[in-house]
Amino acid sequence: MSKVALQQRPRPPMPRRPNALIQSYTTALSVLTNEKDDLPVIETDSDLDQSEEDDEKDSGQQISDCGSDSADESTNVCPLDSEHMKELEISGYVSDGDDLGCTLTSSKLDSDVFSLQSGEGSKKSVRDWLTSAQAMLQTPQKPMDRQFKTPEGSTKKKRKFKSGGLAERLNRLHCRQRSAISFWRHKSISDTSVAAATTVDRPGVLVLEVLEVHEESSMQLAHCEHQQPPRDGHQERNAVSEETTRMLVLFNRETAAQLIPAPGDVIHIYPPWQSLSIEGFICPVILSTHFSQKVSSASKPDDMSLPKIWLSAERRLPYFLGQIFGLLDECKTKSEGRAKQVAASDVLCTFGTRPCLSLLEAIEGLGQAGNVDQDVDVVVQRVYSVPMADCSPVSFLKHRASLRSSTAPPTAEKGKTRLCVLVQDSFGIFSTVRLQPLSSSDELHQYCQMWQGRTCVLRGVKVVERVTRERHSRLFSLIDSLWPPATSLKDHGNSLSILNEIGSPGPPPSFCYLLSGHQSSVEPREGQTVSPLYLHPASRTLRDILRSEAKSCRCSFIATVLYKRMQSTDVGQGEVWLVLTDPSLQEEQPERPCRRTVALCVSTSCVLTSSVLEALNSPAVCDMSFRDAIREHGVLLCAEQSVIEVSSVQHKSSFETTTRQDSLSSSEPQVKTLPQPPRLDSLSLETTPNSLCSLTGVIVGVDENTAYSWPACNLCGSDNLEVSAEKPQNFHCISCKSTLDKPDTKVQLEVFLSSSSLGNCTLKVKLQQKTVMLILNTPVLESSELQGYDVESVLGKEVGPLAVYVRVVTRKPALWMGLEEICLQAC
Amino acid sequence: MRTFLPAVAEQLFRDIQKIYEETTQIPDDLLIALKFVFGTCALQALDLVDQRSVTCLSSPSGRKAFQVIGGSGRLYTCFLSCHYCPCPAFTYTVLRRNQGLLCKHILAVYLCQAMAVTQQESISDQQMSAVL
Repeated sequence: MSKVALQQRPRPPMPRRPNALIQSYTTALSVLTNEKDDLPVIETDSDLDQSEEDDEKDSGQQISDCGSDSADESTNVCPLDSEHMKELEISGYVSDGDDLGCTLTSSKLDSDVFSLQSGEGSKKSVRDWLTSAQAMLQTPQKPMDRQFKTPEGSTKKKRKFKSGGLAERLNRLHCRQRSAISFWRHKSISDTSVAAATTVDRPGVLVLEVLEVHEESSMQLAHCEHQQPPRDGHQERNAVSEETTRMLVLFNRETAAQLIPAPGDVIHIYPPWQSLSIEGFICPVILSTHFSQKVSSASKPDDMSLPKIWLSAERRLPYFLGQIFGLLDECKTKSEGRAKQVAASDVLCTFGTRPCLSLLEAIEGLGQAGNVDQDVDVVVQRVYSVPMADCSPVSFLKHRASLRSSTAPPTAEKGKTRLCVLVQDSFGIFSTVRLQPLSSSDELHQYCQMWQGRTCVLRGVKVVERVTRERHSRLFSLIDSLWPPATSLKDHGNSLSILNEIGSPGPPPSFCYLLSGHQSSVEPREGQTVSPLYLHPASRTLRDILRSEAKSCRCSFIATVLYKRMQSTDVGQGEVWLVLTDPSLQEEQPERPCRRTVALCVSTSCVLTSSVLEALNSPAVCDMSFRDAIREHGVLLCAEQSVIEVSSVQHKSSFETTTRQDSLSSSEPQVKTLPQPPRLDSLSLETTPNSLCSLTGVIVGVDENTAYSWPACNLCGSDNLEVSAEKPQNFHCISCKSTLDKPDTKVQLEVFLSSSSLGNCTLKVKLQQKTVMLILNTPVLESSELQGYDVESVLGKEVGPLAVYVRVVTRKPALWMGLEEICLQAC
Repeated sequence: MRTFLPAVAEQLFRDIQKIYEETTQIPDDLLIALKFVFGTCALQALDLVDQRSVTCLSSPSGRKAFQVIGGSGRLYTCFLSCHYCPCPAFTYTVLRRNQGLLCKHILAVYLCQAMAVTQQESISDQQMSAVL
């Protein structure tokens, strides 16, 4: 449902402005459904979110023409027609207190209309009825609905603005601004002393000396003298000419309370701020001065107490109410002709920063449609890929075709993947940037080599969303793993970071931007090796990781994959379970007891490259490197932002190259240093599903329902046999197209074991062919012979030690484990 | 003893009018400037504008008045010749405490006028007297 279609007539979709002179103050997040992206619809984290409901309600709205005076429409006009009634809730604003008597008003309206409807003689004329009906239609509310529902009162707790309207947009902008302000204040408060000493030579910062302050309507207006910074690097848009050094600066109540401007003070105003040229005024008026800081004060703070200074700002008498602000005499929808064709862009200018080291500032100084105009220097902390949702109809057909060949392993390029990076600016702010789709998932490795750890220029990106910790815990677990930063961060109050010795960088950021870019959005700066801010993914041993006390963290390691379990569906890659081990877990005599293997789940949001899939599909054991895997509730997990690579001597994984320490990057593959066969934990009462254990036990039962045998091809091992048409005793293999005189017989047998170490536990094990043969005491199985076997003959036999994969564990009503014997491949 | 805020407000409205006429959009920086100057009632006023809550009543004798349907559904009649609104917010914030320039209804009137989205309505003189 395109948002464009829902918008009212007076507001067509965002037109292209002929001359984008105005550098917008903050983002104007355009409707991304207009673009050919598969990016999500814009959301904000503000409290006053629009709910889905409103969109659906909007579709039913119709608003009649302004000024359409129509007696003929009266037949169509029906206030009860639900189509014409917008169902938006209009809440009362408590602060105004105009909800007093609202129910009375609405019910008054109701009764009017209803009395007419019911056909009772109404004292009012048809004209009046039309007026009230039109009024209701033109500004639709819910007086009708209130008739049917119990009135809840007009004050709704959650205020919902009209979707796509000005109020909603301003609300979004304001929320963003508020967080930028609090972030800036926090930074500036923690480091006020240094800021006073250094001169600010960054363009865009206003250095002002206060001459006179007065108060008007809860704002403080300061006449100031603008002190030009020594540097000469003004943009053409700079409305502040060299001659006029006087400025009228407005401070709102909060800023003024914190700043307490007084004559003689020197104030720095950091961008973004706004400058307004008023017709008839010589000095420009400075607005949106939220990022202001008093650098020096004429009067000593000890002399004057707070209330005195506040009162010293004289309050101007309220303006004469008769002085109206123009416009009111023009009662036409469009007035003809303009006396002055002054482009608005000349009048209200917004200043952002130019040399951009700060993501926050670049984003707060957004151009139209959410495009970040400025280039920002960032460190690429991580490069990864994400699966792209495939929603084109063509792909469905492809998937259906693959359903027929269901035995094929999951193919590598089934879904497309998109390149992503996690970047950090020199102030510590993080942002993920979604870039172009990758033509092959193996390209990721190249981008890692090119970008990871380097300072790059970020350009041509667009803001999608600003997310917070609560809703994106996985992303923030990665951000937390990159905190505290490797070097000291810059401070927004001070451009010279060398002088700025921040003791502690504080807590990790609570928000992160999601940006979207394209192929050339990330460009490494020349001559850079590794940025000092880069925190490489330090590889740890599995034992170290399992011992860690953190509830949830990101970890990187190299491990040997002992066993793979792919729950692959035919469409795309399903979940993959791996059982891993490494030398740290396989030590012969560990000082402290530790597990021998650990399970790892690869979720569908983690992209598997073709080389990884190939390695997983082959039966051989291999080493893999896992970067930024998640350890959560004692389980290892690879999800978004995790990267798995095959680790081999030739193919160095992405974190091994940039690792400064040489702890684990050995020239010999890890797999060779493991004991053969790998040590496994014994099955115990605490064993969790998806683990590998060793088990010895005595057969106490056989599941006769699942015991069966079937013929298989001697040559290719396939089960696809047919009875040969010519000779009914022989079989024909469909897969390799050969005729078999005597096919092999495969057998499946599930037995119940009893183990001394596990008391009251039912263990059901699906045995491998070899083991079955062993317990049946026969080297070769004849197809006809299986029926003859008696359950009694196997009872009491001891089996093991078996390597088993724990498929399922149920604890209620009693402990029951479903196991499967596996064959650990020799390396 | 000159006051400047009214001129600031007036200029902003003029800007809005111009840019809206050209592009039928109000750019973000103007919205932000509105919020800065008018405070909380800017958001509320914009909401009223979104709802098209402002009507200009005119009568044959040439009298004009503005009617704003407030958030609760109540009708407020604001005058043309001077700033007045019967809402409690205006009484307290603007008149008594002198903490605001306008209330949200008057601001909505200005914005609707600037954007030329005021509803128009003609009523009889008799009705006009009743309204005023």
